[in-house]
Parts: sequence; structure tokens; C-alpha cells
Amino acid sequence: MTAFMMDYEFKLKTQNERVKVEDLFNYEGCKVGRGTYGHVYKGRRKDSSDNRDYALKQIEGTGLSMSACREIALLRELKHSNVINLIRVFLSHNDRKVWLLFDFAEHDLWHIIKFHRAAKANKKPVMVPKGMVKSLLYQILDGIHYLHSNWVLHRDLKPANILVMGEGSERGRVKIADMGFARLFNAPLKPLADLDPVVVTFWYRAPELLLGARHYTKAIDIWAIGCIFAELLTSEPIFHCRQEDIKTSNPYHHDQLDRIFNVMGFPHEKDWEDIKKMPEHPTLLKDFKKSNYVNCSLIKYMDRHKIKPDSKAFHLLQKLLLMDPNKRITSEQAMQDGYFSEEPLPTQDVFAGCPIPYPKREFLTDDDQEEKSEKRQTQQQQQQQTQLPSQQQSQSQQLQSASNNDNHNNPAKRVRLSGQQLPGQVNSQNMPISQQTDFHQQHVMYNNTQQHNFSQRF
Amino acid sequence: MAGNFWQSSHHQQWLLDKQDLIRERKHDLSILSEEEYQKIFIFFSSVIQTLGEQLKLRQQVIATATVYFKRFYARNSLKCIDPLLLAPTCIFLASKVEEFGVISNSRLISTCQTVIKNKFNYAYLQEFPYRTNHILECEFYLLENLDCCLIVYQPYRPLLQLVQDIGHEEQLLTLAWRVVNDSLRTDVSLLYPPYQIAIGCLQIACVILQKDQKAWFAELNVDIEKIQEIARYIINLFELWKTYDEKKEIQGLLSKMPKPKPAQQR
Ligand SMILES: Nc1ncnc2c1ncn2[C@@H]1O[C@H](COP(=O)(O)OP(=O)(O)O)[C@@H](O)[C@H]1O
Ligand SMILES: [Mg+2]
Repeated sequence: MTAFMMDYEFKLKTQNERVKVEDLFNYEGCKVGRGTYGHVYKGRRKDSSDNRDYALKQIEGTGLSMSACREIALLRELKHSNVINLIRVFLSHNDRKVWLLFDFAEHDLWHIIKFHRAAKANKKPVMVPKGMVKSLLYQILDGIHYLHSNWVLHRDLKPANILVMGEGSERGRVKIADMGFARLFNAPLKPLADLDPVVVTFWYRAPELLLGARHYTKAIDIWAIGCIFAELLTSEPIFHCRQEDIKTSNPYHHDQLDRIFNVMGFPHEKDWEDIKKMPEHPTLLKDFKKSNYVNCSLIKYMDRHKIKPDSKAFHLLQKLLLMDPNKRITSEQAMQDGYFSEEPLPTQDVFAGCPIPYPKREFLTDDDQEEKSEKRQTQQQQQQQTQLPSQQQSQSQQLQSASNNDNHNNPAKRVRLSGQQLPGQVNSQNMPISQQTDFHQQHVMYNNTQQHNFSQRF
Repeated sequence: MAGNFWQSSHHQQWLLDKQDLIRERKHDLSILSEEEYQKIFIFFSSVIQTLGEQLKLRQQVIATATVYFKRFYARNSLKCIDPLLLAPTCIFLASKVEEFGVISNSRLISTCQTVIKNKFNYAYLQEFPYRTNHILECEFYLLENLDCCLIVYQPYRPLLQLVQDIGHEEQLLTLAWRVVNDSLRTDVSLLYPPYQIAIGCLQIACVILQKDQKAWFAELNVDIEKIQEIARYIINLFELWKTYDEKKEIQGLLSKMPKPKPAQQR
């Protein structure tokens, strides 16, 4: 072949100008995260021009996958204090790897909730400011409102993708991450459902998606935020459901719908008129009996978890988790909700200046890698969900009622994080049990003793 | 990202000025005349358009690919990467960004082969010489040179709004849409924001259809001078087309075009 595709001089020149990630950063052995689309390392600059921590995400596979492409394209344009900031992109020509450089976020909601669940099971309360959940929710909504007003849908909101900054100038700031699934949604060029077989982890997936909705909407992100809010309030994934295989091309998922109805009750037609139009509506009618869910309601579920039906938190949750996507509240409306104008007001630092009780990210060794992969994370969550409470059978009414819903699970091996004393954990022997068992309760308790800490406000 | 052109990388990094373009093209314009240079870009815009149509891509994707192509050569000489390779690479990248989905490598290559053989045999006597690995390597260079700015705003959406505002006129929209497609063969996408390009194209369409919309245009709060400049670029293109026979000239132009060189023999 005669044509030379690329000029040698040009190639040489760009090669010399190109900065390599391994020349700029130390990150070897510092893997802290493993998701479906990448490995995340904690890195420091080699030239120590600063000694901040950075997150380096190495995209799974080689070359520019569609999800890498979307993540780069969108993050290159987005700028908001609650959306993770893409600092730069490294293209490694030799091994064809793509690296994304971000600010390092010490925490994420998956780890935070896991920590609370473990503490709850061990009857060791966690000291967090009373307004922390509210601040987290407010900032999640703020970030999503920004995305939505720029015509970007996230589509994969779940605790693992909500990061929280550790000590430093942005202490306690929420950062929405993992835009790999995100896409622009005005004038989709193809029905969105055609592109990725499965998009959101089932637990956070809106009922209309499970019933085969072809197009993603803002309301789908809002549902996921409602799920995260409930999980923050109770430390339990509200729509926890066993799932064998995350990847499936069929959106309809019987067990997940069953779980939603078990919490929410079966949707009345008057509450969700368009449910008839859902592609999987016939399957729904065939598979489900309304009468099985007559005693279920969100009020009862949350009440079992000590969230009062007349609280502002509950009212907002109910609006986020409306079954009918058309009736679901928008992020903008949610931010105006009375919950956020009630004391304690949300703070920019979700920890409100208090000590951060959560452990720092641990480095994953090679053996861990598999175990901590996001696929496994969901399994772990399931195991904890069933194991932690059930190992302490009869210790608490409340825990029992929480685990009753899922005790059909197999008695899988218990996962790590048992026993060991974690930093920030407080010895609780002389605290009333009723106040130790629940994430939400713990805030109240903490607030009672440390009220003066909540001064920094939005 | 439709809500936010002013904060976009398109606005902040990729609205170049005329002087920049002249400077960057100095090397190529020492070999080619300005008109020859433009003819080469007209040709490769057609290659991209035809590839896109064969692959059943929407015009938005094709337009984005064309802008990538122009942006690359706005910063680099034609000799840096063979445009015949860069053109399909731009299509490949744009289809991922614009949510079309990944085009399979084999389909892309075979489409290039058939398109070059059947539609552009007046320009290329040999068959399409590149394979998947070339496209993939080229893609990294493209992304680097675009500085990872992948979201491109196009005039189509503002055009729809403008035509709607004038009062739905199918004929006007169709013609103005085609003028926007034609504008991809000029430098306007490197120089002006897309809503101005939309207005410029609409104005030309109105003139062609002899619709007097002066009052309506006067009410638009825009820099009329800029609109006139855009219209001028497009009218110049139409003028050039009147006398230009691509089929006759393109081989000569392609052989004159600066080309990649291999490593110096030592
Ligand atoms: N900026 C960051 N700082 C610290 N940890 C991060 C950062 N980004 C991601 N992580 C960790 O890595 C995990 C995977 O990253 P994510 O962007 O979600 O990739 P994936 O697309 O593979 O899910 C996250 O759940 C989180 O634990
Ligand atoms: Mg993730």
C-alpha cells in the first residue's frame, strides 16, 4: 500500500509533547475502586507541585468505548460543584488505555451506608450531624438539577456513584460521578432502550423502566434519588431484591416489581393512569395479584423504620417515589420542598464541621479486586442485608422487621467488615438501644448533644 | 447540553478567528491556492456526507463528523494525517458521541470500500487502503487534537425554532436545511456560533424563495454584520460550484495536496 496514513514528523512531535499518566502520577498499587467500566486509583503528582490526592480512572478495555466517549464528552462540558470535575484525559497510545483524572473523593454513599449498616448490626452508633442526610439529598438534587437543565440524564444513580469529598477545601461536598451511562436526552437519535440492554442496577430502577418504558426521562433519575434518600434514612436499600444476573436484555423483572409493590402497594389505576400504556402491562396483569399487596404502603414501610409519616422527610420521599413518572416531583421542585427550610438547614459540608466518622478508602489488593467489583458489591449488599440482621436474631424488633422482607435469601458467606473497630466508631454501651439501631435515629441523638456544631449553612 | 452553548467548549475553545485560520494554514497554502484548498475540503465533506448516508446516520451525526474533520485541519496541515483516513475516523467518533451507537469496525471499513469504489472512483483509482487498526490509531490522534471537545452545537435545532417562529413553512425549512448542509463545505462552522449560521442560512433560503422577511429579520436581535459574513461565505461557495467540475479536477488536486511522509531514510 502506498498511502502513508500519518506523517512521521507529526507523529514524533505529538509523541514528544504527549504527557504520560505514569510520568505525572504515582498510583501503582493504589487501586481504590473497581466498577463495571473502570479501575479507579488514588494518585499523587510525582513532581509534588501539590500534594493533593487525585483519582485516576482507567477505563475498562482498550480504546474508546461508547461509554468512555460519553463520559468524556459530557464531563468536558459540565461544571457544577456537585458534579465530579474531570481535570484531564490521558490517552495511552501503547496499550490503548484511556485514563481520566478527577479530584479524589474520599467517600461515597455505598461505603457510608455500608458503614452505618455494620454499625447498626453491631449496635454501635455513628456520630453524624443531624442534618447530614438532608444535606446529602440537597446536594444530590442540586447536581441533578444542573444535569437535567443541561439536557443530560444520569441514568445510573445509585449510592456507589454518589461521592463525598473528604478533608480539604471541598470537605463534605457531594459529587455525582460515573457519567458513563449519562446521555443527552433531547432529540434522541435512537430509542434509548436500544442502546444498552440494561442501564440502572435494578434496585434503583423506576417502575416504568421495569415495565418496558422505551425512553429515559428525568423522572427515572428522580426515582433513583428517592431510593437513595430512603436508604440514607434507614440504612437499607428500600427496594432490595435478589438478582442473579445484572445484565439482561429484558427490562421486565418480576422480583423487582414484586419488591416495589411490597413496599409501595400495588399501583391503582387512578394513581397511574398511563400504566395501561406500558409495554409490559399485560405481563404485569398476568403475573401479579393486586390483593397480595393490600396491606403494603410506603407509610407503613417507613414507619417500621422509624420515619414518621407526618415528618417533612417522609412527605418529600413520597413525592420522589411516586409510581406515576408524570406525577413525580422534579429536582427543582424538590429543592424548594419544606424539608429543606426546616431546621437543621442543609450545609455545604454535609459533615457540618464535625469529625468524619467513616474510614478512608482502602487500597484493593489483587485478590480483593474481584470481590470488590461492582457486580459483587450488589451481592455483598444482599448478603449484608440478610446476614447482618439475621445473625443477631431477636436482638431488636426493628431489625427483625427490616429483615423479614428479605429472609428468603440463601445463607451466603458473611462478608468482611465484621468485628474490627472502625475509626470514628463510638463505644455506645450506655446509650439507649432504641437510639442506636437506626441511621436516622443516630442523627437525632447526635444533634441532642452537639447542637452548636450546625452553623455552616447554604 | 443543548441549554448551555455559552459555557460550552464549542463556544469557549472552538470559535476561531479568521486570522488564526490563515496563520494555521500557512504551510498548506504555500502549496495550494486558497481555492484549491477549499475544493479539497468540499470533496472530503462529500466523502463524509456519503459515508454517513450509507451508514444511515442522521444529519446531526454527519455534521458533527464534518466539524471534527475541519477542526483537526484547522490546527494541522493536511499532510499530518491522510484526510481519506481521518474522514471515516470522524464518522466513527461522532457516531459514538451523538448516541448513534458504535458502528462495527467491519461495517465501517466495508462501507468505505464500497463508497470509494462506487461513488468516488473519479478521485481514487485504488481501493480504500485502510483497516480497522488504522482508524483506531487515528481516533486517538483525533481526540487529542480536538482536546476532548466532542459536543458540537449545530445550526439545525435553532433553525427549526426560527422557521417555526416565521410560521411553519415546509418549503422554507427544507431549503434552509439544505443550505445549512451546504454551509458545512465552508469555514463558517469554525468561525460563527450555530444560531448565527442558522439565521444566515435562513436568510439565503428566503432570498432564493423570494420571500420578503426583512421585517422579521430586523426584529431578531443579532449582529447583522456577522449574518452578512456568513451569507457571503455560502454565496461564494455557490459561485464556485457554478464553474467547478470536481470530477475533472479532483485527481489533480489530491496529487498536489501535501501528504504524510515516512521516516527519513538514513
Ligand atoms: N473521583 C473519585 N475519587 C475517589 N473514588 C472514586 C472516584 N471516582 C470513582 N471512585 C471509586 O471507584 C468506583 C468506580 O468508579 P465509577 O466512576 O463509578 O466507575 P464505573 O463506571 O466503573 O462504575 C466508585 O464507586 C468509587 O468507589
Ligand atoms: Mg459506578
